[in-house]
Amino acid sequence: MVKTVVLREEVQRKIEEIGHADIVVGIPSYNNAGTIGHVVRAVQAGLVEYFPEARSVIVNSDGGSRDGTMDMVNTAAAGDFRTILVSNRMEPVFRIATPYNGMPGKGSAFRTILEIADALGASACAVVDADLRSITPEWMELFLKPALADFDYVAPLYQRHKYDGTITNSIVYPLTRALYGKQVRQPIGGDFGFSARMARFYLSKGVWDSDVARFGVDVWMTTTAVANGFRICQAFLGAKIHDPKDPGTDLSSMLYQVVGATFDLMETYEETWKSIAGSEKVSTFGFPRDASPAPVRVNVRGMIELFRLGASELADLWQTFLGQEIVSFLARLAAAKEADFRVPDDVWTEIVYRFAVAAHADLINREHLLKSLTPLYMGRTASFVLETAESDISEVERKIEDLCRIFERKKPFLLKTWDSAAEQRR
Amino acid sequence: MQDVEGGAAEMLHVFFRKLLGFLPNFFTALILLFVGVGLAKVLGLISLRVFRALNVDRFWDRAGIREVLIRGGIRKPLSVELSRIVYWLTVLIFIVIALNALQIPVIEAVLARFFLYLPNVFVALLILFAGYLLCNFFARAALIGLVNSGVREAGLAARAVRFAIFVFAVTMALEQLDIGKASVLIAFTIMFGGAVLAFAIALGLGGQHYVREYLERRMRKGSKDDVHHIDHV
Repeated sequence: MVKTVVLREEVQRKIEEIGHADIVVGIPSYNNAGTIGHVVRAVQAGLVEYFPEARSVIVNSDGGSRDGTMDMVNTAAAGDFRTILVSNRMEPVFRIATPYNGMPGKGSAFRTILEIADALGASACAVVDADLRSITPEWMELFLKPALADFDYVAPLYQRHKYDGTITNSIVYPLTRALYGKQVRQPIGGDFGFSARMARFYLSKGVWDSDVARFGVDVWMTTTAVANGFRICQAFLGAKIHDPKDPGTDLSSMLYQVVGATFDLMETYEETWKSIAGSEKVSTFGFPRDASPAPVRVNVRGMIELFRLGASELADLWQTFLGQEIVSFLARLAAAKEADFRVPDDVWTEIVYRFAVAAHADLINREHLLKSLTPLYMGRTASFVLETAESDISEVERKIEDLCRIFERKKPFLLKTWDSAAEQRR
Repeated sequence: MQDVEGGAAEMLHVFFRKLLGFLPNFFTALILLFVGVGLAKVLGLISLRVFRALNVDRFWDRAGIREVLIRGGIRKPLSVELSRIVYWLTVLIFIVIALNALQIPVIEAVLARFFLYLPNVFVALLILFAGYLLCNFFARAALIGLVNSGVREAGLAARAVRFAIFVFAVTMALEQLDIGKASVLIAFTIMFGGAVLAFAIALGLGGQHYVREYLERRMRKGSKDDVHHIDHV
């Protein structure tokens, strides 16, 4: 029997029964009964169509759903394959649906998928979210073919609404690009492919009992691949449409988790990013489709109000790590009219870098620090929306590119303040 | 006259005899005091190095204590403050030993009572210190949380949190010191109960709409609109 503390006995028996697999596709889930059936069908259709001779396993790693998510995985029918098959199917597609062990979170779900892939000796893996509505069978080809060929990590490249993914566009993408020198456009996409070598490397890392197990696993996987010199590429997937998130989800908690995980990785890979300047493109597969993402509702006035509230109540706190010049600018901005409300790229870059340095220096309680970023992020998002109100998606991409260049240009400032913070700590 | 002279001489004789008897104790006490101050300086220096080696200053910063104390006028790092405490504790111990060495019954009795009461003072100070730290920590947590939720009175609410926790700490400290035990407790109970009741009435009369809206938003599984809000990640 396969020996692992992570996998349940029934899963270990199932692995023995299957023996070996060429491809493993993981679907982490939690109460996704409404959408997971579609995801399983799309994955299975993709495996049948593009990898008919590969022995494949679909693994659902569930966080204790109470809505019958796992039953949906086991009963989802793939439909009439004769309509999509080019050649006759040679190998079956197995399914494993199991609750994961360990801390509750997407990271623990990933660990179970990685353990199963490793135990089955899979050559390539893909992971897709269970709440996707826009997944198509082609996603399997786009994720798995590069992973079976020359690449270790395949990041997603979605067509999104110009205002979607604002944490990615204004913080995580510019920051990780400036730090690690690779232009991975969606570092926290949530869906990706990877090679067996990459899977083994992930499993060898002792992070599975840390915060990575709970949240931040997406940015951890991308950064681990980039910072350790694995071969990276991206795949055009078209639109990303998923179940609406719980409206009660707290934005500041989301920021705390995503930005906190990115800052944690700055500590882990300090020696790597310090020596990198500029950035380079990564290979991109697939065909950029002109998908039209769903419209989004943006409450600019509400965002500006939240920024103003933050500027009046949190100025003293910000002063301790942002400095007088920026805090004075923020005070002036708070008094500005909506039409003049702009957070320039260089100011925003400095704010993000100063937050990173403050987290590094342990200046104040980490959760307080990161959650105090929320009003600033709202201000920046409002400014971005106002600036790009008339812009199409390509103009918005150019704006994001400009921001990334400023992050790269101001990296010496980060290095200088980072090192002086380290000296203060000593 | 001779009796008076004899009496005075006798008194002087007794006085000098007592003084001579007391002087060794006095000098012993003085020596103990000097030794104590010297030893306190040495222990202070050693403890400073130990605290720095243990990196306690980093803990000081991380817990947000430094920031709080700077506002209260204390600007030295935790290692320095702790070594000062070691210094003054050593000096205090030697003062007490020196006073005992004088062998004066009144002082001995006062010291005995003082020592019995001292743990209460120490615990009360600890409670106050912890209360001060906690009230600032929770006030800041409340301030950030309320600002992020868009509550306009965030600053006022954060100050109320700070005040409530500090009053609670002061009440506990006074209780520990046995000062107005019953009246302090009753005053606190009335104040706390009154505040909770006032809040409940205010929320029930003025904020039921917001509470209902909030609960509905929390319970709802997701919007069925084809238009959705920004997806931040």
